[in-house]
Amino acid sequence: MTCSNPIDAAVLADYWLAALAKSDEEAVEEHLFTCDECGVRLRETIALAEGVHELACQGSLIMVVSDAFVKRATEQGLHVREYAPPRSGSVECTVSAEDDFLIGRLTADLSGAKRVDLCFCDGQGVERLRLPDIPFHSEAGGVTFQQSITYAKAAPSETMIARLVTFDEAGGESLLGEYTFNHTRTLPGPGAW
Amino acid sequence: MIIELNDAAIVGQIRSGDPQAEAELFRRMAPRIRLYGLRHLRHEHAADDLTQQVLITTLEALRAGRLREPEKLASFVLGTCRMTVLDLRRGAQRKERLLEQFGADLLPPAPAPGPHLDHEQLARCVQDLKERERAVVIMTFYDEQTSADVSTFLGVSEANVRVIRHRAIHQLRDCMGVAA
Repeated sequence: MTCSNPIDAAVLADYWLAALAKSDEEAVEEHLFTCDECGVRLRETIALAEGVHELACQGSLIMVVSDAFVKRATEQGLHVREYAPPRSGSVECTVSAEDDFLIGRLTADLSGAKRVDLCFCDGQGVERLRLPDIPFHSEAGGVTFQQSITYAKAAPSETMIARLVTFDEAGGESLLGEYTFNHTRTLPGPGAW
Repeated sequence: MIIELNDAAIVGQIRSGDPQAEAELFRRMAPRIRLYGLRHLRHEHAADDLTQQVLITTLEALRAGRLREPEKLASFVLGTCRMTVLDLRRGAQRKERLLEQFGADLLPPAPAPGPHLDHEQLARCVQDLKERERAVVIMTFYDEQTSADVSTFLGVSEANVRVIRHRAIHQLRDCMGVAA
C-alpha cells in the first residue's frame, strides 16, 4: 500500500526531537498508527539521528563547535584535550590514546565580520582545507573548533596552521588571525605519511 | 491470493475467538506501538514493555467486545498507548497483573531490525554539509539542544534553525540514498 499523504522526513525528525506543536504531534501520531510506510520513514530518521550521535561521539568530524558541546562532552566523562595558541603565535601539542575530543580555541576580533572562513594549512602555509562561512558570534572574541581525533592520533609529528579570514564588501579576503599548532606524535606509528 | 483484513474485520474476528486475527493484530500494531514507545520513553526495553502492555490491554478489550466502533481500532490503540505511557510515568504496575492474567504466550513478535546504516558513508555525508547545517545537526542530535539553544549559537532565529535542520536532513537522506 502506498501512502497518499506521506509525512516529510524533516517533520518526522521534528517529531522524534519533540519539536512539534502538540496538535501537529497528535496528527503525526494518528497518521503513524495507520501508515506503516511513514513508520518505515520514521525508523530511517531515527537511525540517521542515532548515526549522527555516534559519529559526533567519535570526535572524528572537523567542525566549529559551541562551548556547550565541549561542556557536554566533559560532563559525559569524555576526555577533551584543548589547545589555545595565541593569535600570531604557536602551541606545542599532542594527543594520547585516552583522548576523545581535540579542541582548538582561536581568539580573534570578530566584530564587524559578516562572514568568517576557517582555513587549515600545512607547515608551509599551503591551504589544505577550508570551512567556509562558519557560525560565529561577533562579540564572542573567537572561534572554537574540533579537529579530528582519529586523524590526530594517526598523524606523524607535523605543523598545522589555522587561519581565520573574513571578507570586505568587494569580496576581498583579509586575515583575522593565524595560529600554529606544532603536533608531536606520542603514539606509536609511522614517522611520516 | 491473500486478502488483508481491514481493522474492523480483525476486531470482529477476535470477538469471535479467532486466534489468527489476534496474531494479525499483533503483527500490524506491534511495530507502531513500539515506535510510539521509542519516541516517548526513549528506551528500547521500555518500548518493548509498552508494546506488550498495550497489546494485552487491546486484546482484553476486543475479546470483551468493549470497542464500540471497530473501524477505529488504530485510534483505540493509540489512545491506549497514550494512557499507558501516562500510567508508566505515574509508576503504575499494571503489567504484572495483566501478564498473570494472560500468560507469557501472548508476547508480541520480536521487533524488526532497524534500517542498516553505512556509518562511513554517513561520516562523508555529514562532512559534506555546509558549516551551519553541520553545526545544527550535531548540536541537535549530539547535544540534544533545542532550536532556541542552537539559534543563540548561530545568531539566527529559531524558525531559521528549523529551516536549516530540515534542509540538512533532506541532504543527508539524499546523500545516504533514501528518499525524502
